[in-house]
Amino acid sequence: MRGQMTHPDTDVLAEFRAGLITGRRGARITAHLGGCERCTALDEQLAGVRSLLASVPAPAMPDSVAQRLEVVLAAEVAQRNAAGRAAAPGDQAERAGGDGAREPSAPRRPGGNRGFRLLALRVLAPAAAVVVLGAGVYGLSHLNLGSSSSSAASSAAGGAERSAPSSTAGAESAGRVHAPAAGPSEGTVPQSRGITPASFSLVTGQRTLTRADLAQQVRAALLVPVSARSTKTPPKQLRGCVARLADGHTLELVESVRFEGRPATLIVARTGAKDTAWIAAPDCSDTNSHVLATTTLTSGISGP
Amino acid sequence: MPDEAAPADHELLRRHVAGDADAFGELFRRHRDRLWAVALRTLCDPDEAADALQDAMVSAFRRAADFRGESAVTTWLHRIVVNASLDRLRRRAARPALSTGDEQAFEALVAQDGDPARTSDTRMDVDAALRLLPPQQRAALVLVDMLGFSVADTAAILDTSPGTVKSRCARARARLLPHLAHLQGNRSPGQSVSPAQGGDTA
Repeated sequence: MRGQMTHPDTDVLAEFRAGLITGRRGARITAHLGGCERCTALDEQLAGVRSLLASVPAPAMPDSVAQRLEVVLAAEVAQRNAAGRAAAPGDQAERAGGDGAREPSAPRRPGGNRGFRLLALRVLAPAAAVVVLGAGVYGLSHLNLGSSSSSAASSAAGGAERSAPSSTAGAESAGRVHAPAAGPSEGTVPQSRGITPASFSLVTGQRTLTRADLAQQVRAALLVPVSARSTKTPPKQLRGCVARLADGHTLELVESVRFEGRPATLIVARTGAKDTAWIAAPDCSDTNSHVLATTTLTSGISGP
Repeated sequence: MPDEAAPADHELLRRHVAGDADAFGELFRRHRDRLWAVALRTLCDPDEAADALQDAMVSAFRRAADFRGESAVTTWLHRIVVNASLDRLRRRAARPALSTGDEQAFEALVAQDGDPARTSDTRMDVDAALRLLPPQQRAALVLVDMLGFSVADTAAILDTSPGTVKSRCARARARLLPHLAHLQGNRSPGQSVSPAQGGDTA
């Protein structure tokens, strides 16, 4: 070993390796590495740290987290839809034009400034599944009746969250999400939850479902109140298909969707302790149970 | 509405801003595993990571109109997730070091696949070592060395210069070395080692 230079620190070697040390200082380190076995080994170990870190596979998101995020996302979508309906037409135009907005602080949506929304976010943030499962659902049904602003909905949900007694209780109330509509029926509200196959409404929309994570996507679909969506009377063939598949079980949702890029119908029914979801092909009828995919959801949306 | 098989990220974001109820979900699902990895590695705690990711997702959902196309949509999403994670770390700094999360951290890390124990050991050791780093160094190292982002993209995500990213990564690697050297086949200085991977050209 030539001793014309003391051994550089590991930090210095790492910076040298990262290309941060050049010029005469860099040349000195290069020369030192040429003659110092110890520092050469250290340098190679630094490279080894990189390859070791690169070799650790990225963890996939656990199902429980994915489900929770889908539920929160569904609540956001419902909230935005409700806010959109409550907004004046001018707001809608402004929002549509907001795509290319250069001014980040411009108000984008009715219902409060960014500061308030961030505050609401903070309130909601620690919300584990409880928020979503316990209070969030009530927030949704609240919105559904026409709340005037998204902020009000946020704080309502936040307040409910804080008063939620425990995660157990939250899960229990969540289990009732799909129970027949809470509160008085208004008669005209197209409510397909908890009704028999004879009289369901078909939710129309452009929801895209994929085979991967189908159960989570169905959970998200169930979270948006039917009364917040547009519906129509189902055609006779579909009624036959639904009657055949649901086979007398209570329906939770019938929605026209795209599945793997093709038109299909999502049918969800409460089958015992579980929900069963079918993706029915367009030719499904009372004599043809053509199902493209099926999945079961345990205990509503509460299962972690 | 056109319904191509796989619309680009920016197209999904545009649809979301225009009111499409499903576009953001599709975009988020597309990137969620990497976003999760960033949050989990930066926070070293699955519960905190889930909270941070939720904050970030809601924030991105609401602020999508702010996206001005100056970076890739993925860069923007990662930036929001990293910021939400670092935010949580700052708030957590006042609290004592976590101990109860370790069990869950372990499970979240090992539950991902059925790899034999050796891989899990490596993961555990790497996870434990990452906790020793200051958050900013850890965020840079996770993005560059663990998730393979370029220095330039990482600089954009962290809102800093490429030089700072390189420097944070270099210091982080030096700091991790004594804690990870045993995983490199129990080499010690003087022993022969496998040829080094290339320099920091990423």
